[in-house]
Amino acid sequence: MGIITAGKYEGQHPIHPKARQILLDAFDQGWADPTQISSQGRQAQALLDQARESIAKSLGLKVDEIELWGEPELISPIAIWGAPGFGVSPFIYGATERSEIIGMRGKSKQFFEISVDIDGAIDLELLTQTLQPNSIVAIQSANIETGVIQNIKAIAKAVVAQNAHLHIDATASGARFVKPSYWSTLHFDARSWNGPSGVGVFALKNGARWSNPLPHTRPTRAPNSFSIPLALAAASALEHWIADEAANSTRLKSLIERVRNHVKQTISDVDIAGNAESTLPNIISLSFLNVSSEQLVAELEIEGFSVASGSACVASALEPSHVLKAMGLLTHGNMRINLNHDVQDGEITKLLALLPGIISKLREN
Amino acid sequence: MAFELDCRGKRCPLPIIELSKKIKESELGQEVLLISDDPATAADLTAWARMTGNEFKVISADNFLITKSN
Repeated sequence: MGIITAGKYEGQHPIHPKARQILLDAFDQGWADPTQISSQGRQAQALLDQARESIAKSLGLKVDEIELWGEPELISPIAIWGAPGFGVSPFIYGATERSEIIGMRGKSKQFFEISVDIDGAIDLELLTQTLQPNSIVAIQSANIETGVIQNIKAIAKAVVAQNAHLHIDATASGARFVKPSYWSTLHFDARSWNGPSGVGVFALKNGARWSNPLPHTRPTRAPNSFSIPLALAAASALEHWIADEAANSTRLKSLIERVRNHVKQTISDVDIAGNAESTLPNIISLSFLNVSSEQLVAELEIEGFSVASGSACVASALEPSHVLKAMGLLTHGNMRINLNHDVQDGEITKLLALLPGIISKLREN
Repeated sequence: MAFELDCRGKRCPLPIIELSKKIKESELGQEVLLISDDPATAADLTAWARMTGNEFKVISADNFLITKSN
């Protein structure tokens, strides 16, 4: 069945076949702990060093700026926790950040949530007014639910003017992330480039102040308990993703544009998140008034399309998506399309041919 | 006199769908008191009002007064 779309993470797309092969080979080798001296251990260490260099290069970072983590969801919370003065210094975050970042406010004596406009853009003026020299700012480069990209360059400029701390969550943009000249810590997830789940990248800019908040007796910036096979597969997936992106980025962007224009022209009462100029080229979020997302997802499933939804009636939570809510967009009748490089143009044509009929049928019920 | 639309216990998007139906049948200026304990209702009413050109006021956590204005 032609599945064109995915859910919360792009990594729900299948792992790149070449990366999968590396993963299987590495598991077959049954590698020893690379810190032990043995010929297998040395081989593993050499491959790991290569993988680390390759990941750093692909992400435009220096190799000594990155650490691989085996529990990617912990990277942002720990990056924020280790920022200078976290807990007493003002913690500032955007209203559409991921919930594990928003949750860090519970560990801070002072926190400020920066609202977003209807297109999802951070209120830069409010951010500038709120910033103080000891502030810790956490902002996502793009949002995984809506694809909305923040003006990171302008945000970084505001933060550097106060010499404050800037953590950027790049898990949605992945290798599409263009880093600003100023940042303190970064967070990537290998799932964003079709790598395996269970590998993340934490980056600490050379010269930035940060101390590891986890218990440790020797100087260390990471637990280093990640899986070597997964790290090698993540590096390989990233190289292949970049090559695929070069060949497909224009095509993906035009497919998303087709979805945007077709839905606008053929379906009434729909909220499309963000504007075409400031959203990721592969994600679109649509909310249809008076439509049940549960039924919409089920109807599309029958036709062979797997889409995700931020509506409460589909998600396991009772609460609707805090992202759509913060933007003032309709939270029900929501579906998200997240295109992978291997999507066929014909699949989008088929989806667009079906969608108006499905929506009007569901609205009649 | 506001028409009372009791949607307690109904999950999203039912309160908004029922409200849309009621407003469609109503005359301009008609008020509808929507009672809904679904956590999505408050957020969705903002979007609904913007999309349909109607107005609403939050009376309490579960009570919303809607005026047909379009």
